[in-house]
Amino acid sequence: MIGIVFGLRLGRWGVVGFSLAGLLLVFAQTAGFYQVAGTTPGARAAFGSAMATLAAQLVALFPPPLRPDTAGGYAEFRGFHPLAVLFAVWALASATGFARGDEERGVVEAALATGTSRIALIASRTVGFALAVTVASAAAAAGFLIGVASGHETAAVQGVVEEAALLAVIGVACYTLSLFVAQMAGPRLATAAAGTLLLALFLDNSLSRAMSSLTAWRWLSPFRYYDLSQPLPPGGHFDARAFLVLIGISVLATAAAAAAFMRRDLGASLIRLPSIPHRPSYDVTAAPWWGVAVARGLYERRLGLLAWSAGMAVMALSFVALTKTIVQVLLSIPSLLPYLSIFVHQQLYPAVLGYTWFNVAELMFAAFAITYVARWSAEDSDGRLEIFLSQPLSRAGIVLERMAVLAAGAVLIAAVSGAVLFYASHQQGIDLNAQRLTAASLMLVPFALVFAGAGSLLAAWNPRAAVGLLGAFAFASYLDTELGTIYKFPVWLLDLSAFKLFGAPLLNGVNGRNLALMLLLALAGIGSSILAIQRRDVGA
Amino acid sequence: MLREMAVAAISTSQLTKDYGAGRGLFDLGLHVSQQEVFGYLGPNGSGKTTTIRLLMGMIRPTNGSAHVFGLDCVRDAMEVKRKVGYLPGDIPQFGSLRGDEVVAYLGGMRGGVDRRHVRAIAERFDLDLNRRFREYSSGNKQKLGILLAFMHRPELLILDEPTSGLDPLNQQEFYELLRETRAGGATIFLSSHVLSEVEHVCDRVGILRRGRLVKVAELGELTRIRVHHVEVEFAPGEEVPAERLRAAEGVEDLSVEGQRLRCTVHGNFDALLEAISGSRVIDLVSTEPSLEEFFLSFFGEPKPKALPS
Repeated sequence: MIGIVFGLRLGRWGVVGFSLAGLLLVFAQTAGFYQVAGTTPGARAAFGSAMATLAAQLVALFPPPLRPDTAGGYAEFRGFHPLAVLFAVWALASATGFARGDEERGVVEAALATGTSRIALIASRTVGFALAVTVASAAAAAGFLIGVASGHETAAVQGVVEEAALLAVIGVACYTLSLFVAQMAGPRLATAAAGTLLLALFLDNSLSRAMSSLTAWRWLSPFRYYDLSQPLPPGGHFDARAFLVLIGISVLATAAAAAAFMRRDLGASLIRLPSIPHRPSYDVTAAPWWGVAVARGLYERRLGLLAWSAGMAVMALSFVALTKTIVQVLLSIPSLLPYLSIFVHQQLYPAVLGYTWFNVAELMFAAFAITYVARWSAEDSDGRLEIFLSQPLSRAGIVLERMAVLAAGAVLIAAVSGAVLFYASHQQGIDLNAQRLTAASLMLVPFALVFAGAGSLLAAWNPRAAVGLLGAFAFASYLDTELGTIYKFPVWLLDLSAFKLFGAPLLNGVNGRNLALMLLLALAGIGSSILAIQRRDVGA
Repeated sequence: MLREMAVAAISTSQLTKDYGAGRGLFDLGLHVSQQEVFGYLGPNGSGKTTTIRLLMGMIRPTNGSAHVFGLDCVRDAMEVKRKVGYLPGDIPQFGSLRGDEVVAYLGGMRGGVDRRHVRAIAERFDLDLNRRFREYSSGNKQKLGILLAFMHRPELLILDEPTSGLDPLNQQEFYELLRETRAGGATIFLSSHVLSEVEHVCDRVGILRRGRLVKVAELGELTRIRVHHVEVEFAPGEEVPAERLRAAEGVEDLSVEGQRLRCTVHGNFDALLEAISGSRVIDLVSTEPSLEEFFLSFFGEPKPKALPS
């Protein structure tokens, strides 16, 4: 019991943050439905049809909605499905944080020294996360109920409970799978390995909706069993067997993680690569990059940059492959043809690719910036910043070097993914405007810098809270774009969102005003973070 | 040159960092001369690390000022750090970087690091720089911290509890390195909560208590005020010279149990050794008191609750 409480205590900010995120996202989407869907049956049917069209473009990410002309169907599609992805990321961070982060900090060693068995430790932390994700799912369900109440309607309680239970159990399944993988891989690779597995399982299921070759393999993915239920809309269904399969996956993965944990040494991985013969040395490396300000930071993060570049390149390839399928689906809807010819000026492929790929790329670049901010916060709390500052470097210099490393990394990833996108599109017979693609890909750099600037300020002001607050900022920016038109936010408020400022550069070219605003926001973040770090006590 | 020599390596005036609730550092006035080895002694939470962080410009004073070689620690922080080698109390985590990469990283930030000097220190402490930081034991992490502080031959070394985690052999090697560095013209400011450590290497000692500097003593004075718990076991049948010992200068709290005698010795051991000379002693153990006990003895303060009765 004490282990469960301890696990909840360590992850309390995650519980609070994700509960709030769930509550707000689902409430905003549900309440927003009543703003945009109309009140007459005809208006709602037309809205449902438009949503189905939108869903066809997003089929590679989320399952097609059931009854999007109802609050339940709409909230499930726009609220709960994205939350499942968000909770998977939370599960990944929590599981690898426990298995590797807590182990490196000595928390696991201290817990085992109290006489707690390894099985009990794994079980207590898993139960702790299950409770946490249940609370967050209940908050999301509460958001739905409040949203429905705002539209003067009622919802079937059973469906809401089933939706929350599904959300919780997919979170637990992702947690236990990540926990298992983290036992296999070493501390450096645990998060990357577990993240790769979850991404692969997610894509296995989501891409199978568009690629028939993958349908034979989607039974492997827990997300498949999540998709099989759609309990919220009228006429929806809850697949109890699929739900039990998710519970079974969680139990099996927990047992496997416990077995692996019992067989490995603390600090080591179960799978150990043959070690290279060690040759002691008393010499300092003569590699020249350590003496060059930005080069040393890039070199230190080389594996991460390689993984990000490779991951984004693979995603770019997948999205190009998907584009053909999506376009065929769109062209098969006769009512859409006038819209397509008017609004996208026959540039259907760039329009779809620009919408799907760059939407995902924006999220990934925001996540990229958040990982860097997490590192800056860690540097502050574990004493690296103190030892950096004991060298003759100014605090402003350190902030600028951090930003330059992030910008250079972002340029590299944008260039690699942009080049792969261009090459793969060309191979598929989709001719993209090279200049626009270059500009659109490079727009991801100032986009990342907006988040990095905000993160830099937060890390300078309060490093412990920086990642959570930046996550909330990114979430708010996303909501700003999502809900701005529904709730008719003022332009200045919309302009604070980098997601909105990014626009559709592949289709419409780069908007100079928006680019300038993004750079201004980034500079404001950098400037204020320099001021904030000058005044702050370090190490105290 | 003469003018430069006259500047104090460290000087503070009414230096205060107030964290509230009586915590922090208050009205510190300190003067450390060039080429001096200054020990900064105090129990946990007494303000040693706060002083060091103020000198390094990591934190800003609430009041007062601190200077290193005449340079203001806040205004001229960059210039100060060029002259200083710093060992923090806790060595930060460098994860999967190898030892040589950590040195190259921080050496690259600083510039002008002599690779031969680095090699000499690494060899001296038998520190394998080809291992990842994550694989280092706590002692090896401390050795790396020492190497990072000494790598650029600084004029002033500010070392926060430098021997924590080092085994006795490496502690001796470290003391030897300090002596050589001082002989080479450097000034050393080291904090500790171990009395015997500062006695090993320091010219003067500043004693900090509850955020205030309560005493600055020469090494000789420290020796006079030091206290040891002594236990002497006499050979079977040998008469225990209790009366002679009671009369001996500096010997107090004497108790006898069979052939075993326990007492407290203030200052040096001359009187005790003279009192037991001629007796057959089969065992003699001298234990250094904790810093709290030292304060108890030195300042006559009531015994803290945490101390065993």
